Amino acid sequence: MTRGVVLIANNNESIDYILQACYSVNNIKKYLDLPVTLITDTPDLFKTKYVLYEKLFDNIIEHTPYGDYTVKTYRDGFFDSKPLKFKNSSRASVFDLTPYDETIVLDTDVLIFNNNFLKCFDQMHDLLIYRNTIDVCGGRSDGEFAFISDASVDFYWATCIFFRKTLENEIFFNLVQHIQENWNHYRLLYQITSSVFRNDFAFSIAIHIMNGSTSGDFVKEFPGKLLYSTDRDELVTIYDDGVLILVEKTDNVGKQTPLRTVNTNIHIMNKFSLDRAIKNDN
Amino acid sequence: MDDKLKKALDFSNYVIALNNHKRILSEKYQESVVMYYNGGKFTVNQTLISFCKTLNDLHQEGTILVDDDTIPIEISNIKDFMSRALNEYVSATNTYLVEYRKLLKNRSVAGIVDL
Repeated sequence: MTRGVVLIANNNESIDYILQACYSVNNIKKYLDLPVTLITDTPDLFKTKYVLYEKLFDNIIEHTPYGDYTVKTYRDGFFDSKPLKFKNSSRASVFDLTPYDETIVLDTDVLIFNNNFLKCFDQMHDLLIYRNTIDVCGGRSDGEFAFISDASVDFYWATCIFFRKTLENEIFFNLVQHIQENWNHYRLLYQITSSVFRNDFAFSIAIHIMNGSTSGDFVKEFPGKLLYSTDRDELVTIYDDGVLILVEKTDNVGKQTPLRTVNTNIHIMNKFSLDRAIKNDN
Repeated sequence: MDDKLKKALDFSNYVIALNNHKRILSEKYQESVVMYYNGGKFTVNQTLISFCKTLNDLHQEGTILVDDDTIPIEISNIKDFMSRALNEYVSATNTYLVEYRKLLKNRSVAGIVDL
């Protein structure tokens, strides 16, 4: 059985996802000690911009994301935002692309600071995903992460996925691809108002269908909950064992309180601040 | 600003930061007491450990436990299971205690975030 981590990084005009992946790979090696494969639409950048980083990865796979890119608003704290290209359609192809029998797929903005993901390999279920998450700030509304729309199905996070190469998972990932190819139909069917394709939504819909179009246990959850900071928070510093974040206070727009995490994995949604923190650290 | 109000607002800021850190420590603890055994997922707690101890005291070698996902898991060696569960529990609670005490010792926002 081969095991490894897959990261997907498709840069846009402002966010350097490949740099995030290059940074993330060090912590993955340190805490999980697993081989890492990068899937990107611009592997040539390793010949020019990221020459020193190529050797960090065990494999670099070129993959052109499906269809046209969409545009979404990226926030940078409360006061700033920018519409940018969103090239997120490679995830549905990861089943075919991964070189491993057992794969952990991580977003490049998930920072690893413990070895809890290794527990995936000790359990029997072939597909794990996060359903429950925890906001770094208590009391803020997290309703948007409960269901994919007001009158629709459970929300699952495609941010972290563990899967084995089984027939059922092949059917599942093919279904995600089908949903992606027919996104407009499915988003209307599931009452999603935004036309922007989101992996979280596509995976949630696919899980619902695989469960017989009802609630069920086709997927199981990772142990624990995924800690996340929203794009209204600001990552300030990355340490060896955690991060320092300025968290927007509940019901106090624009006012922040500091939070230091230690040995906890965390999903950073403010990509601008993640890029800045990485560049400051280098 | 009135000094009384300033002190109250400073304390309020401290409480917000403290509560956020407490919550994350608690979640971290919940995650660290999850143990996988024979493919099953078990959240280790006092009840589970006591039950295993009872079986062991009754000279049972094995048993079947229903895991967190309500799947029956065959445990052929209760002693080994109990030993691992106890280790996970002691390690997780010790870490929790140390980090919790460290957190409470700091009486300022700057202290909490270790600046």
